[in-house]
Amino acid sequence: MNERQVKKLLVYLGAAATLLFCLGPFVYMLLTGLATEPDFLRPAKAFIPTWDHYHSVLFSETVHFVRYLINSIAISGISAVVSVFIAALGAYALTRLNIPGGRPILLIVLGISMFPPVSLISYLYKLMSALGWMNTYPALILPYIAWTLPLSLWIMVSYLEQVPQELDKAGLVDGCSRLKILVRIILPVAAPGLFATLLLAFIYAFNEFLIALMLTTDQAARTIPVGIALFEGLHGQVAWGEIMAAATVTTIPVVLLTLLFQRRIIQGLTRGAVKA
Amino acid sequence: MTRDHRPASDFRQARQPARRPPLTRDQVRGFWFLSPLFGFIGLFILIPVLGTIADSLFRDIVYLPVRFVFLENFRALWADPSFWSAVRFSALFVLVSVPLEVLLGLGIALVLNEPFALRGWVRACILIPWAIPAAVAGRIFQLVYNFSYGAANYLLDLLSISREPLNWLGSDLSAFIAVVVADAWQTTPFAAIILLAGLAAIPEDLYGQAKVDQAGMVARFRHITLPLLKPVLIVTLLFRTIQALRIFDIIFVLTGGGPGGATESLSMLAYRHFAAGDFGYGSAASVVLFLMAVVAAIAYVRVGRFQET
Repeated sequence: MNERQVKKLLVYLGAAATLLFCLGPFVYMLLTGLATEPDFLRPAKAFIPTWDHYHSVLFSETVHFVRYLINSIAISGISAVVSVFIAALGAYALTRLNIPGGRPILLIVLGISMFPPVSLISYLYKLMSALGWMNTYPALILPYIAWTLPLSLWIMVSYLEQVPQELDKAGLVDGCSRLKILVRIILPVAAPGLFATLLLAFIYAFNEFLIALMLTTDQAARTIPVGIALFEGLHGQVAWGEIMAAATVTTIPVVLLTLLFQRRIIQGLTRGAVKA
Repeated sequence: MTRDHRPASDFRQARQPARRPPLTRDQVRGFWFLSPLFGFIGLFILIPVLGTIADSLFRDIVYLPVRFVFLENFRALWADPSFWSAVRFSALFVLVSVPLEVLLGLGIALVLNEPFALRGWVRACILIPWAIPAAVAGRIFQLVYNFSYGAANYLLDLLSISREPLNWLGSDLSAFIAVVVADAWQTTPFAAIILLAGLAAIPEDLYGQAKVDQAGMVARFRHITLPLLKPVLIVTLLFRTIQALRIFDIIFVLTGGGPGGATESLSMLAYRHFAAGDFGYGSAASVVLFLMAVVAAIAYVRVGRFQET
């Protein structure tokens, strides 16, 4: 075998191993959600498919998965939209308005994103308790906006840098305000970037766990990762079927979004990092 | 004693920064545009962090009067075996999982950087573990490691490694391995994606020239790919180290810190005390974690700078 063939073999083996590694646990989750019993891998046991777990996850009154999912989508959605808009304003200022100390501002924001979340939660807990906002949407939305802002800002800056400055000048000549230029001219041109940022901010907020664990107490505002983490079976033993059905219902939308927009997501994720 | 003989006027010039020209209208507007960003980050990240640092100096236990105790919480941490166990776990976890994940990620990135059929699909699939919430990944792996019917013991049996089922989450070492594997599944894709972008940025003609020079596959990797990838590699290591230091979600769900506190990270320790109502002590633990993250970040930035010069 010459080097080309060796390389080809290595690449295909590597691709197969990568697929197995990444998809294995995911497929296991899908199967368990559909299996009557979670022990289908044992010898002398068989995989007997059923929709029962999905039925109880989606329609049972006693488990609140649907409510958790709605909370998650609403909280992450609102957080992502606000975060991206604030980041767009900031990115516009940093890329076009000649802010003194623009680069340090970006680096400081990046540094802030590295703070461990556990160093925020006790203060947030006290703050939200004092405001009487524990276990409500704002208690999560406000920290999530802040939490996703460093990411949003970095990605928005990398996209807005690529929009030609001539567009601004044309807008100024037409007598538009800076805000109007941003909203009417720049953001539509940078729409793909805006969308990628929105998606990433949504996924980051959707997957957040510790703040939600600390600031929610029941289905009024609990998010789906916390709901799945804390779910114990109703009859004493772990209800793996329900948990995995709920996990599937939760991850399928995110996974579909990710697969559909993978190019955008990869672009967004890497822009900031490779530049830094 | 050294003396400076410069005339006084020079001092004044050296001390006073050159007067900035007044801000233009655009710059003033720019600060307005940035103000919501500063506001949110300040109110919900900076002030909470400062509040936590301040709180670590108080005895702040729920239902008890708050009292300033200066470093008492840190002294108590120092004497607390579970604190040292958490520090050891966090350090070991970083040392094992970060190199493992970055190596795996580099392998995946090298594969995905080559053209082959269905490459787009494979690249899309590696995003799946990344997109799944860590808490959900923890649940999936809890089932994988289930003693009587989990996939891990099934694989041991299938590959004829062990007939006896292993109680994965029951012993210190196997629980540690279990956490490392689950975390690697979740976070390797991130490393792979960043490294892939770094690989894609290496100009193709460099390799062409190397091929003319008859450099082999391994030589090309060592002399072209690795040096050019170094900055991206350092950034990936930095991100992963910071994230691994603060690991919480997967452990909370998978082992709950067990068995017997063997997999309790610093974040878990701090959370446990917060949940028990001891805010001062928990804050002190998070301050230690915070400092470890800062030290790690500075170390990487140093290494990065050093490589450049």
